Amino acid sequence: MTRRNMLVFTTILALFAFAICTLILPMFDREQIRLGLDLVGGSHLVYQAQFPEGATGEDKARAMNRALDTIRTRIDRYGVTEPIIQEQEGERILVQLPGFTDIEAAKSLVEQTGFLEFREVELNNGNPVYLGDYLENPNPEFFNKGEDGTRIFVDENGNPIAFLIKDEEDVLIYTDEAGNPIDLEEVKRRAEEVLSEAVPGSWALLSWILARGDDGTQLTGGFLKEARPSITTGITAEPEVAIEWNEEGGIIFDDIAERLYSRPSESPERCIGIFLDNILISSPQIIEPAYHGSGVITGNFTIEEVEHLANLLESGALPMPLQKPPLYEEMVSATLGADFIDMSIKAGIIGIILIMLFMIIYYRLPGVLASLALIFYGTVVLALFKLIPVTLTLAGIGGFVLSIGMAVDANVLIFERMKEELRTGRTLGAAIETGFNRAWTAIRDSNITTFIVCGILYWLGKNIVASAPVMGFALTLFIGVAVSMFTAIVVTRTLLRLFVGTRLAQRTSLFSVYSGRR
Amino acid sequence: MFDIAGRRFWFFLISGVVILIGIISLATFGLKTGIEFSSGSRLRISFDEQKVSQDQLKQELANLGYPNAIIQSEIRPTGPGDFLIRTRELMGEDKAQLEAGLTAEFGHLTEKEFGGVSPEVATETARNAAIAVAVAAIGILLYITWAFRRMPSPFRYGTCAIVALLHDMLVVLGIFSILSGILDWEINLMFITGVLAVIGYSVNNTVVVFDRIRENLTKGVSSNFEVVVNNSLVETLSRSLNTSLTTLIVVLALLLFVGASIQNFAVVLLIGIVAGTYSSLCIAPQLLLVWERGEWGRFIRRLPAAKAKGG
Repeated sequence: MTRRNMLVFTTILALFAFAICTLILPMFDREQIRLGLDLVGGSHLVYQAQFPEGATGEDKARAMNRALDTIRTRIDRYGVTEPIIQEQEGERILVQLPGFTDIEAAKSLVEQTGFLEFREVELNNGNPVYLGDYLENPNPEFFNKGEDGTRIFVDENGNPIAFLIKDEEDVLIYTDEAGNPIDLEEVKRRAEEVLSEAVPGSWALLSWILARGDDGTQLTGGFLKEARPSITTGITAEPEVAIEWNEEGGIIFDDIAERLYSRPSESPERCIGIFLDNILISSPQIIEPAYHGSGVITGNFTIEEVEHLANLLESGALPMPLQKPPLYEEMVSATLGADFIDMSIKAGIIGIILIMLFMIIYYRLPGVLASLALIFYGTVVLALFKLIPVTLTLAGIGGFVLSIGMAVDANVLIFERMKEELRTGRTLGAAIETGFNRAWTAIRDSNITTFIVCGILYWLGKNIVASAPVMGFALTLFIGVAVSMFTAIVVTRTLLRLFVGTRLAQRTSLFSVYSGRR
Repeated sequence: MFDIAGRRFWFFLISGVVILIGIISLATFGLKTGIEFSSGSRLRISFDEQKVSQDQLKQELANLGYPNAIIQSEIRPTGPGDFLIRTRELMGEDKAQLEAGLTAEFGHLTEKEFGGVSPEVATETARNAAIAVAVAAIGILLYITWAFRRMPSPFRYGTCAIVALLHDMLVVLGIFSILSGILDWEINLMFITGVLAVIGYSVNNTVVVFDRIRENLTKGVSSNFEVVVNNSLVETLSRSLNTSLTTLIVVLALLLFVGASIQNFAVVLLIGIVAGTYSSLCIAPQLLLVWERGEWGRFIRRLPAAKAKGG
C-alpha cells in the first residue's frame, strides 16, 4: 500500500463525505434536487386572450401561435425547464411552470405584453403640447392634425394617467389604461395630483404622439433585431440595454432622429419617448442626426432590470394583451402521480442492490469493491444534480437510470481484463495495473462516443429543435457517464490497490480465478 | 472456442426477418401518437363527498377506457381541490358517459370547466428527435473513423457502428409498433426518451468490441481477419453479456416497481438493450468482416428473398 494510494483514498473519502453533506444539507438555497412539472407540479395559469374587435378566425389563430412562441421564449430565457404552454379553445392560454412556487413572479413573466413603441412630443406651432392645452380647449381637436393616433400623458415616473383617442365619430375622448372612457373631471383630478407632486420645469403631462418614419411607418419593437444588456461607457457605469435595428427599423429611426435633431437642444421636443406597455421607461435626447441602426435604452435601471428588459424585448411583444387577473392561478400536482418519485427511488435502490449481488457473486472481491464504487457513484451523481442544478424530469431520470446500468460497465471491462492477467500468473499488483491499462482504450472510446451523443443532443435540444426533454436527457446521461468513468478508473483502482501486498491478494479465488487454471 | 463469426449469415437472416416483420407492422399498424402530441379535451371536476386520490381516479379512468389520461390535482392549503383531467378528444356522448362512470364510482361530481386543448408537446418534437438522432449518428461516424484511424480503412468501423445503430432503431420501432398494434400502446415523451437512450447504449457496446478487434489486429493475433474478429468477440462476450445484464436489471426494476407511467420508456430500453447487445456482437463486427472480405455477393445470394423485401 503506497503512500500515494492512501492519499487518493483519503481524497475519495472526503469527496464522498462532501457529496453526502450536499444531499442532506440545504445548499445555495436549495433544499432538494430540482424536479420538473411531471414529477412535482408547479404553477398553473390560464389566461383569456383579448383579441381586437373584428379579428377574423385566421387573425386569431396567427396571433395565438405567435403568443405561444413569445411566452415560450420568455420562459425559456428565464431558465424554467420543461414548461407546458398550450392553447385552449383558441382563446385561452394555459401555462404550467414546474417547481415555480412564486406565482406572482410567474404571472409577471407571462402577463407583460412587452409592447415597445417609440413616441415624440406633439408640437403646436413649434411649442410642446401639454395635457393642460387640451383641457383648456373647450372643443378639442388634435393640435397636430397630421397624426391621428393615441396621445399618452404620463406622470413623473412615466406611468400613464390618461390616453386621448379619437373615437368612431371623430370625437376626442379620454380613456384609462384599460381603454374605458373617463370624464373630464377625473382627468383634471388626475392631472392636478400629478402637478402637485411635480417639481417645477418637469416634463410631466406632455402629449406623446407616435413617432413615425418619413413614409408614415410607426416605429415599434417589431423592428428590433437584437437587444442585450450592456453598461454605459461614460464616467459612471450605468446598466443600459443596447439595441440593434433591422434594416427597415434603422431607416425609420434615422428619419425620426434627423427630424428631432433639428429641434432646440435640452428641450422636451428633442427627446424620443421609449414606451413599454404604455409606460414611459426612458426619454433620451437625440444627440446625433443619424444612428445607423444601433442605439441604447438608458434609464434608472438596475442590472436585473436591464437583463429583464433585454429579454422582454428580444422575445418580442405579445400580439394581443391577456386579461388580468388570469382565469385560473394555482399550484398543481405532478402529472405522473404523487408517488412516482418514491416508486422510482425504490426501483433504483432495488436495481442497485441486484446489480451488487450479481457483481459480488460473479467477480467476488472486486465485485464487493465495485459495489462500494457504485454507492459512491450514485451519491456523487445525485449531489451534482443538486449542485449544478439539474432539473430532474422523467427524461432526466431515464438518463440517470441508464447510466447506473452503464456505471458498472467500466468495472466489468477492467475486471475481465484483470482475470485474464491473473490467469497468466501475474501478481495482483501487476494484474491490476495491466488490467486497467488494457481496458483503458475501450473505456475511453466507448465513453467518448457517448459524450459526443450527449453533446450533440444537448446542442440540438438547446439551439435547433428546442426540446427540453432532449436536453435533460443529454445532461443527466453526460454527468452519469463522466462520473462512472471517474469511479471505475480512480475509485475502484484505489480500493483494489489497498489489497496489494496483503495476504488476501494471494488467494486468487477471491478474484474468481482458480489456481488450477494458472 | 465458439465460432461466432462463422455464423454471420444466420445472424443477418435473423435480423433481416425481425426487421422485415417490424416494417410490415409499421406499414400496417403504424405508430399511434399519444395525447401529448394531439389535441384533446380538458375537464376540471371536483367531487362532493369522498376524498378521491389521484391514483384512484387514474385507475377508474383506465377502467372507463381512458388509460392514457393525464391527471393533475390542484393543491390547496385546505386539502385537495379540483382535478384537471386531460383526455383524448371527447366527442358527443363521451363526456356524459365519462362523468356518469366517475359519479357511479366516487359519488356526485361538479364539472367546473370543459374545453378543447392544443397538443401539449409540439408535433415537431418527434421529428426533432429524429433530426437529433441523425446528427448524432454523423458525429459518431466521424469520431469512430478518427479513433480507428491507424486501422486499415477506418471509415468502415464508423459505418458498421452506424448500421448497427440503425438496426437497433428499426428493431425498437418495429417491435414497439407490433406491441402498440396489439396492446394499444401509444408513443409519448417516454418513448422518445427511451429511443435516445438506446442510441447511447448501442454505440457504446459496439465500440468495446471494435476496440478489442483493434487491439488484436495490432498484436497480430492472426493474419486471418475472421479469426481476429472471432477471438475478439469471444474475449468480450462475458463483458457484453454482463453489462447488458446489469442494465437490464435496472430497467426491469423500473418496469416492475414504477409500472404503467414509465412502461414505454422501460419497454423501449428493454428491446433496445437486447437489440444493441445482439447487434454489437452479431451485426457490426460481422459486417466489418463481410466488407473486408468482399462477401457482399455471397451474402446476397444466400438471402435473396428476405433481404430484397426487407430493403
